[in-house]
Amino acid sequence: MLQTLTTDFRTPRAAPSALNTAPSQRYYVYLLAPAILLLAAISLYPFFWLIYMSLHQVSMSPNQPDVWVGLANYAKLLSDKRYLEGWRLLVVYSVSCMILQVGLGLLLALVLNNSRWEKPLVTVFLMPMMMAPVIAGLVWFYLYNGTFGWYNWVLQSLGILSGTSILGSTSTAMIGIVVVDTWQWTPLITLIVLAGLKRVPQDQLEAHMVDGAGAVRNFFAIVLPNLYPFLLIAVLLRFMDNFRFIDAILRLTGGGPANSTKVLPVYLFEVSFTNFNLGYGAAIAFTLLVVTIVIGMVLVSAFTQPSLQQKH
Amino acid sequence: MFRPIKGAVRRRVSRREFLQRGGALVAGLGAGGLIVGGGSTIVSTRVQAQSSDDAKWKQFSGSKLVFMSENTPPSFAIRDNLKAFYDLTGIDVEILTDDLPVVQQKVGIDLRGGSADFQLNYVQDKPIGAPFAEFYADMSKFIGDDSLPQDKDGYGAEAWFDNFLDACGYYYTRDRLVALPYDAAVACTFYRQDLFEKMTKDFEADYGYRLEFTKETTWKQVNDIAKFFKMMHEKDNSIPYGYAQHQGSFAWTTQLDIQRMLFAHGRWTDFNVDDKLGSRTPGKTNWGDPQSVLIMEKFKEQADNSHPDNLANGTLQLNTVYQAGQIAMQVQYHEFAASVEDPKTSAAAGGKTAYAPCPRGEPSWIVNGGEAVNGTNCGIGGIGINANASEDLQKAAWIFASWAVSTNNQFSVLKGLGGTPTRKSVLAIPEVGAARERPTAMPNALTFDAVYDYGILDPNFVLGPKIPKSNEYHQILASEVQKCLAGETSPEEACKAIQTQLDELNEA
Amino acid sequence: MASRDIVTYRTPASVLAGIASAVFVVLFLIWTVLPIFIMFVSSIKDLLEAFKLPAVGDWSGIGVFFDFTPTFKHYVDLFTQENFGTYFFNSVASALGSAAISVVLGSMAAYALSRAEFRGKKDLFFWIISTRMAPVVAVMVPLFAIFRYGGLVGTTPGLIIAYTTFNLPFAIWILKGFFDNVPYEIEEASMVDGSTRLQAFKAIIPLVSPGIGAFLVLCVLFAWNDFLFASIIGSGGAKTLPVATSGLVQPQNIQWGKIMAAGVVTTLPMMLLGLVIRRYLVTGLTMGAVRG
Repeated sequence: MLQTLTTDFRTPRAAPSALNTAPSQRYYVYLLAPAILLLAAISLYPFFWLIYMSLHQVSMSPNQPDVWVGLANYAKLLSDKRYLEGWRLLVVYSVSCMILQVGLGLLLALVLNNSRWEKPLVTVFLMPMMMAPVIAGLVWFYLYNGTFGWYNWVLQSLGILSGTSILGSTSTAMIGIVVVDTWQWTPLITLIVLAGLKRVPQDQLEAHMVDGAGAVRNFFAIVLPNLYPFLLIAVLLRFMDNFRFIDAILRLTGGGPANSTKVLPVYLFEVSFTNFNLGYGAAIAFTLLVVTIVIGMVLVSAFTQPSLQQKH
Repeated sequence: MFRPIKGAVRRRVSRREFLQRGGALVAGLGAGGLIVGGGSTIVSTRVQAQSSDDAKWKQFSGSKLVFMSENTPPSFAIRDNLKAFYDLTGIDVEILTDDLPVVQQKVGIDLRGGSADFQLNYVQDKPIGAPFAEFYADMSKFIGDDSLPQDKDGYGAEAWFDNFLDACGYYYTRDRLVALPYDAAVACTFYRQDLFEKMTKDFEADYGYRLEFTKETTWKQVNDIAKFFKMMHEKDNSIPYGYAQHQGSFAWTTQLDIQRMLFAHGRWTDFNVDDKLGSRTPGKTNWGDPQSVLIMEKFKEQADNSHPDNLANGTLQLNTVYQAGQIAMQVQYHEFAASVEDPKTSAAAGGKTAYAPCPRGEPSWIVNGGEAVNGTNCGIGGIGINANASEDLQKAAWIFASWAVSTNNQFSVLKGLGGTPTRKSVLAIPEVGAARERPTAMPNALTFDAVYDYGILDPNFVLGPKIPKSNEYHQILASEVQKCLAGETSPEEACKAIQTQLDELNEA
Repeated sequence: MASRDIVTYRTPASVLAGIASAVFVVLFLIWTVLPIFIMFVSSIKDLLEAFKLPAVGDWSGIGVFFDFTPTFKHYVDLFTQENFGTYFFNSVASALGSAAISVVLGSMAAYALSRAEFRGKKDLFFWIISTRMAPVVAVMVPLFAIFRYGGLVGTTPGLIIAYTTFNLPFAIWILKGFFDNVPYEIEEASMVDGSTRLQAFKAIIPLVSPGIGAFLVLCVLFAWNDFLFASIIGSGGAKTLPVATSGLVQPQNIQWGKIMAAGVVTTLPMMLLGLVIRRYLVTGLTMGAVRG
């Protein structure tokens, strides 16, 4: 894990030796302490509070004590259709985003790689990523609007939609939010894949070509296997972000129509911040957190893949 | 290895400076934050019943209050006019405005957490008042208190338009007054008179009666009109659709949309409780009974004949659709008249739109008995005082609340930004009386006949259900109604699904 | 690799592939840029002009998109009527503040983590990064309670700390990699010369400073674009641009011209910053997993 990161200079790291000059551990403790304490205060403490809340019926009010309910909030999850549906939709949403973004991003990277236009074009493609997701949500809401949205007009004119706008139908609203995420984040996949392509061992590629293999076979035999770790990182990062951010969805559909885009974090937002069912919200949040952390663990272990870092 | 070091050293100064400046900035902000985020302060001077009015107004001079409000016209207008309040009282008021859902979140956290960051709240009847009623101060203790300024028009039920004080002031009991009516959104029908006149011949040929809209017009006729316009639109797409519903993403207005129609038919309500007062224990719901199923069928039929983007149109988008000239009729809240009559934003301005009460129930659709009425619902936004605030802060807040809902203030908001008065005395002002006819300087006044003189009066007025879990109730209703309109469930299944979930919600 | 092959062998198939690639890239370019372009153009249209659309299917009417008189009044309105000057300042202050804290504390911690060996280091390190992965909605309620207790709600310092919840772990994680690559000999040499440990630490800061600068900018970007924290913790006293823009959607009238102008005001500075640190973007956005 120590070697995962990168700087401009690639000198091998010398481990702190047992030299007399080696600072004592206490010195490191002083350096670490401020950050650790701050992080503990703003993340560990809330985490334990979250667990506490999930086991109570939370009143929030100083005059009314919280009522211990044990695992009742968790038990309720299993029979809550909207909770289960929230998970299903979150998976549908994330997987659709992933397939589209990886497909398009990979294709784009392959086409751009080493071309004359690579640099200027990549610069242009970065633009959507710099936009706040909530602004992206507003802009696309405007584009999709049934009354004055240009994208809606194009879709109607092409006959892809008839009458109903994309966010106005339970069968297409999900597509609508997936498209926005894809618009914003496909370029990230492209960037990652481009970085990966630069590390495809040229000697292997040349040796393979000497054997008379064509471009397509080259791709599957040499390029793709080398890209796997990069794609894995890309997929995991996007997965986590789809769990973390709901800004655009809140703006675009608010979870509707008929809950067709009420992915779990949106449902959680509603339970906690509209209904103030804080104990139950905490139970939902805890399950969401656990799943995210598991994905995070996979991600971190993926980071240690040595192939990510080699440069040929 | 030396190259990067050299390059780095060159940068050294600027980078360190940068970090230093960052640190200074952080420290500076910390100090600034203390000033900015100071919240409320209270300074009081004792007054007595015999003191002058001026002394009563000024007794909290030097204090600071925070009012958390929805971004509706009165709040903007009052914000522009805060100088006048400051001159009168010496109290500095900060008005924060946000979307209703955001206001709900912030107010909820503040109230339930036992704090009083916002001493004054916008108490929208069901979304905010119903769940949080117990956290507001009882305003009746300030009414008649000699040591506080009092409005000459009083605060009794008769000072406000019919039912307004009940709607936003009382929750579950009349012993505590939670809020004073601050602004109002009352449903009425907006329709394109120009199109109606133009097409009445064709319509009459098909349906046997004139294409017009009066207070006698029934929901069945609305469905006819929607169907007729849709047919015409399919022949000639320069003709708009006839109707559209409020079925977009905001659950509350989605619920209100079907509630009007249900109430119109035999004054059907969700629960057998006092509709205006509400109940903490509403018991079993009436959803799933034959009346609700029949109306759901008719509502679905209406949706099928509406503007195709029905499920995307929240209240606001719906109004945009109407402004763009894409529908000939909408049931809309009367505060929207100002935007519909604005020629800069609306194709329906300039005398094309006429206003009428909400449609009436269709006698042949009443299966539970009872009369057909023009079911009219509303959102009455009150101004309430956070009970967590100290006694003096509450009194200072009362002074602001009382001033904010005074006749003069409501009149100036109506004139300025298109407000919606809640005091009867506003209508007595001659200028307002004159504005009810075209040409008008206060477009919202064009709706007053339909709204204040008819829709909000009993037996047409419907409010409920006021229940502590009203937000959950709205979500359940919105999602099941939308599922039905989307064709995922049958009307009967939808009503049964609502019934099951509501009974579970209320533990009935 | 595809393009290299195309250069090497010009077969009909590869020419065809080249054309297909070009078409794909052009389409993708339009797809990427168009929403931003429409945002910009709509921000200089008057309200009614922004609502103009040709009839469905009338492709020849597409020109109405350009049929307008440019006006900058929405931008003027934002700053004169809507307080966007204050919101802009709030955004800058909270983003810079949190980036500064994160980078300062982060580099200290990262340095220590890079140099010290102790048991449980791996777990500590994972805990640090896992704090950044937590869904914001999930931790918002307890965080809010803590902030309210500290009187931080609605203040810029509150927002700075809120943003530090995701920027600090990010900074530690990224910067540790940087320190890992600085040979320990430099500090040793410095200390042999008689400098204190702190001076030795300072001595290597310049070595990592280009990276630190870039990640400072990335921290600014993450904080600037946040919505949920800003809307719930920053509320009122510390309204930032994304929240203020979102708030322009008002019950009576959506002011699209203004919203689009506000979108431009919010987005443009970040796009420019993105260009400045382009080289570090992949590293930053993949949390250091991939080097650009």
